[in-house]
Amino acid sequence: MLTIVKLIQSLIKALHSEGTPGQLAAGIALGSIIGLTPLVNLHNAVVFALLVLLNVSFAGGLLGWALCVPIGFLLDPLFHWLGRTLLLDVPFLTPLWTSLYNMPVAPLTNFNNTVVLGSLAFALLAFIPLFLAARWAVARYRATIGERVRQSRWYRAVTASKLYNVYRLFRPQ
Amino acid sequence: MTVKIFRWRAIGPLLVLLVIVAILWVLFADTIARRETEKVGTEVLGARVEIEDLHLDLANGDVTIRGLTIASPHEPFRNLLQADELVADLDVIPLLEKKIVIDRIAANGLRFGTPRTTDGRVAATGSGRHAGIATRVMAEARQWASQFDVPVLQLATGEIDIDSLDPRNLTTIKVAEALAARADSSRQAWQSGFDTLRLGPTLDSARETLERLQRARATDLAALNEARRAIDQLKRARDRVTALERRVTTGVSTLRAGIGSLDSARRRDYAFARSLVKLPSLDAPEIGAALFAPGAITPFERVYYWLNLARRYMPPGLRPRAGAGTPRVRHPGADVRFPRERNLPGFLLRSAELSFLLDPTAPEPRRYAGRLTGLTSDPALYGRPTLAVASGPALAAGVLLDHVGAIAEDTAGITVQSVRLPPLRLPALPLTLDPGDATLRLGFALRGDEIDARWSVRSNRISWARDSAAFGTGQINDLIWRTVSGISQLEIEARVTGTIANPTLQVRSNLDQAIAARLRAVLGEDVAAAERRLRAAVDRVVDAQVGPVRSRVTELQAEATARIARERAPIDELQRGLEQRLRQLLPGIPLP
Repeated sequence: MLTIVKLIQSLIKALHSEGTPGQLAAGIALGSIIGLTPLVNLHNAVVFALLVLLNVSFAGGLLGWALCVPIGFLLDPLFHWLGRTLLLDVPFLTPLWTSLYNMPVAPLTNFNNTVVLGSLAFALLAFIPLFLAARWAVARYRATIGERVRQSRWYRAVTASKLYNVYRLFRPQ
Repeated sequence: MTVKIFRWRAIGPLLVLLVIVAILWVLFADTIARRETEKVGTEVLGARVEIEDLHLDLANGDVTIRGLTIASPHEPFRNLLQADELVADLDVIPLLEKKIVIDRIAANGLRFGTPRTTDGRVAATGSGRHAGIATRVMAEARQWASQFDVPVLQLATGEIDIDSLDPRNLTTIKVAEALAARADSSRQAWQSGFDTLRLGPTLDSARETLERLQRARATDLAALNEARRAIDQLKRARDRVTALERRVTTGVSTLRAGIGSLDSARRRDYAFARSLVKLPSLDAPEIGAALFAPGAITPFERVYYWLNLARRYMPPGLRPRAGAGTPRVRHPGADVRFPRERNLPGFLLRSAELSFLLDPTAPEPRRYAGRLTGLTSDPALYGRPTLAVASGPALAAGVLLDHVGAIAEDTAGITVQSVRLPPLRLPALPLTLDPGDATLRLGFALRGDEIDARWSVRSNRISWARDSAAFGTGQINDLIWRTVSGISQLEIEARVTGTIANPTLQVRSNLDQAIAARLRAVLGEDVAAAERRLRAAVDRVVDAQVGPVRSRVTELQAEATARIARERAPIDELQRGLEQRLRQLLPGIPLP
């Protein structure tokens, strides 16, 4: 239940943050990478750092992550197939994987795992479409019902919580 | 309004986060490494790996493990080994390539086969989440071991089995039926012969001639000539009776011979009945296999498990290959390895110095030393086989895993002298054999899928115990007990040859001949009794058929003989009467 409440909180805060639709969409797209791929991997540390350092919506990142985690679980068999195909069934890629496998640091990304590579490839491919779709959706939301939601009592209740203060630290400028 | 790309003020919190991560690493790296080592070790070996303490010193490339316990994957409450301390000299740079290269391990205080309080098996029970490859290998090893055909020996009862006697299979019955048919046809033939004699007119004519001759005088030549013709007719009639008598005699002789053939047929039926007695196997090789094969397979199965596990984790060749992914909440996927020539393998232990104790519970346990070199996940990259040797006052052991070439060749051998082996419970017999201090030899060679393995135990001071509850009072049990309890030496040898898919097991021991000879002697009486029972059964069935046939033949013979006599008697009487009257009428004149 708490997770659902936090998810709603993230969603509301992100949609009404001060950032532009593009910043919010970029955050969602970056967060989707973390959500679609297995969490404990080196590339996700890089994505997290980008989410923090780049002037994108951190709340959007949380939203993208929260929304994409269940999708990632659902699509794991597809990721496994995609990763296996890329790793074993595409001969011209084998020298690349072999080089990566035998160079420092790269193996720590677990790129040689079928689900990791498959989900990362999927997330990277979906990054631009997801960014564009999210930017359009946020803009439409703000132009239509956004202001009415902002004036509602439960929105104020959500934004008054302590978590909101933490969020403000990473809000887009 | 311009939007900045970087959020510079977030660098501070990010650095703080990194510092926190670094502090957590310092605080919990040892714990994390210990748990990961336990988890991976358990997954790889198929048995619980427990570590009391693990300390990482990456700056100096040292890893120290204290209190290592590896459970046996085969026995529930026994450890494979325990080690007081392992100090590993780790190559740090390859860690950046996610490769573990250990230059040297010094292992002290190794102990083998120590007891434990909990079941540490993972692969054998299928418990635990991390038992993928090991579980499959364990299942394969069990499947492989189960294909050996171990004969079941009913020595404990020594029961002689007798198949049911089917009268249709008895020769005597058939012979008797044929004889009865022949007697019937003989009776018909003889009756026909008697019918064709037609003696009535001849006798009537002779009788009338005799009456006329009684009234005739010496000058009545017509009567005299008629009497001579009558005598001639009587003689011809007797000749026909005599011819019929010869046929009857011949037929009776044939039927008598048939009666004799009934006896020989009965003897054949006795032999057939003897073949129906099923004796317990008294062949020495089968006794050896039945006594020791179940236990003899176990060492082979265990070595097969370890070698097969090594083949899975140390595959030959340099082609990319997929293995099971690391278990996690999400789909584990598969980890694909991309070995490359002149690069480091994923795992390499260059050298390990081992110091261990055998029979640690002895008052003065002896210390041994061993060495392991070239243990690697990519033998083709390392280019040399894995070699392990251990030696000591009564120990010589060696393992060679050559997976460098395309065909894996694995060899293992061990000889342990004066080792205390656990008591051996003999299957099919309520007996327990305590080998005492024995010499144990094991050799195992696996080249590709061809296997040649040998296992032997030799002891000069064995002792026997019998399970009183299960022993009972059977004669065979007492016999076995008397036989084996006097044997103080033991030599068992088991051998497996052939291919992995089609292996052959041979087991022999010095007990085989002794038990077989004694069983053969004692069971001989039981065999004779069984034969007697079967002969009685044959007699019951045969006599019901043979008795009537024999009576019928005898009756037929008597009837035919009497009939012949009856037919001949009036002929003789009339001929005598005619000849006597002719002599009275013509004294001094010879009769024709």
